[in-house]
Amino acid sequence: MYYLDLHCHSVSSDDARATVEQYLKWVQMLRKRGYQVDGIVLTEHRKFDQGIDYSWLSRQYGTTVLKGSELDTRYGHFLVYGVNHHLLQRFNFADVGLDALALMQEAERTGAIAVPAHPGRYGIGLVEHLANGLDLSALRVVEHLNGGSRKGENERADALVQQAGLLGTGGSDAHFVSAIATCLTEFPSPIRSAEELVTALHQGTFRAVRLEETRAQVVK
Amino acid sequence: MAQPTVEFDRSLLGKDFPAGSFTITKEQVLAYCRIIGETNPLYLDEQEARRRGHPALLAPPLMCPLFARDLDRPQVKLNFGRMRMHAGQALESFHPIYAGDTITASVHLADVYTKTGRSGTMVFIVWETVFVNQQGERVAVSRDSHMVRE
Amino acid sequence: MERYFEDVDLGDLIGPVERVATDAQVLDFCKVWGMAASNRFTSREVAQREGFPDAIVPGIMGMAFLAELVTRWSPSLELKKLDVIFRQLVPHNRLLKLHGVVTDKDEEMGLLEADVYLDLSDGDRMVTGKAVFSLPHREG
Repeated sequence: MYYLDLHCHSVSSDDARATVEQYLKWVQMLRKRGYQVDGIVLTEHRKFDQGIDYSWLSRQYGTTVLKGSELDTRYGHFLVYGVNHHLLQRFNFADVGLDALALMQEAERTGAIAVPAHPGRYGIGLVEHLANGLDLSALRVVEHLNGGSRKGENERADALVQQAGLLGTGGSDAHFVSAIATCLTEFPSPIRSAEELVTALHQGTFRAVRLEETRAQVVK
Repeated sequence: MAQPTVEFDRSLLGKDFPAGSFTITKEQVLAYCRIIGETNPLYLDEQEARRRGHPALLAPPLMCPLFARDLDRPQVKLNFGRMRMHAGQALESFHPIYAGDTITASVHLADVYTKTGRSGTMVFIVWETVFVNQQGERVAVSRDSHMVRE
Repeated sequence: MERYFEDVDLGDLIGPVERVATDAQVLDFCKVWGMAASNRFTSREVAQREGFPDAIVPGIMGMAFLAELVTRWSPSLELKKLDVIFRQLVPHNRLLKLHGVVTDKDEEMGLLEADVYLDLSDGDRMVTGKAVFSLPHREG
């Protein structure tokens, strides 16, 4: 099995205080404690850090580091994996009122994927918009487990996943070092690039897990 | 959710403004320590502070941003929101602060930006304040962000 | 207990320390602060008028608790930086749990970093922060 944290923020996001290297040091410490964490995906708020290359850090710490974005739409936040120049040209990532349907469609068309983040989050999550009559029939994947959720919010996401028969990812939503990898996504085989990640998310053989479950996997 | 167009006085960005000064008294230091539960003798016992090489009773570094609240700041003239909250604060200390120090502050508007969250659309106003003591030494820099929501 | 730079590792825990910000403490804090007696921090009526459910603990008071959490860890600890995000409103008269964990050790600069948290006793996270500090070295 391969475990990726699909949702975290570095100091590049306005409200995060951890550097990527600090996350990777922490991942090493988690491994020493028996957990399996194979990589992280940086999903900075309202931006895509096109010019930043984390490959040397990735090699130094033996941990996959990929880049995505977390964008603010009219139907809540969306995690975008496989960000490409088509998306960067079509959408102003800094806009806090992006058209979620257009984002999903354009992502799909250009080899990326847009996944509703923390759909159970009160006040902003997709669950509230669906309850208000939003029709997102094309939706297949949502963030199922989010490490930054308050009481009841992951339960609302779980109900959505179960009722609508959706696939679910997991991510820590870490903004500080010690929160990294608290929730992860389990894949059947290694993922080394954003393209492989998008393919794996389309294939559908993944599930959301908590960090503790990776330890059980290592012990097996 | 319709997104508002946020306007503010952009000419303030990055410009330094004198914000006034304040003196930290020994009584304020002792009262602060009593309320917070501070037990470090450097903040509580002037003799102990002098014995350890300090010229006076040390003041906890957080006393600088504490008094920054009353300092003069230019009006941002934001056309959004009605409810303001302290969203975050960072304090970096460079030099000890002592009871009796007179601190002079200057501020600048570091950033204004919009995001969405549990509270809907929010605008964040970020101020940076530089604190200098009576000897002209830069003792601390604070960065405080304030969230404005509808 | 005196702690030394060499003895600290990633994952070392700071605290926990428990505190309660009582009505009287918040009022006293506001007096030191030079705030008028009746405000969103000391008066339920004013707080509710401003859209809050009840009087709240000033953000900077919670930050002060976190600063003290770190400095009490070792008598010679020097707090260089404290950077906090106020995530939720901290209520009066509730048991607050303050705790932290060492997250980085910069051998070159001789600095340590820790994540620090202010939680309610039921685990609800109210304030999250990062502290940067130094400790003495064993060789002096």
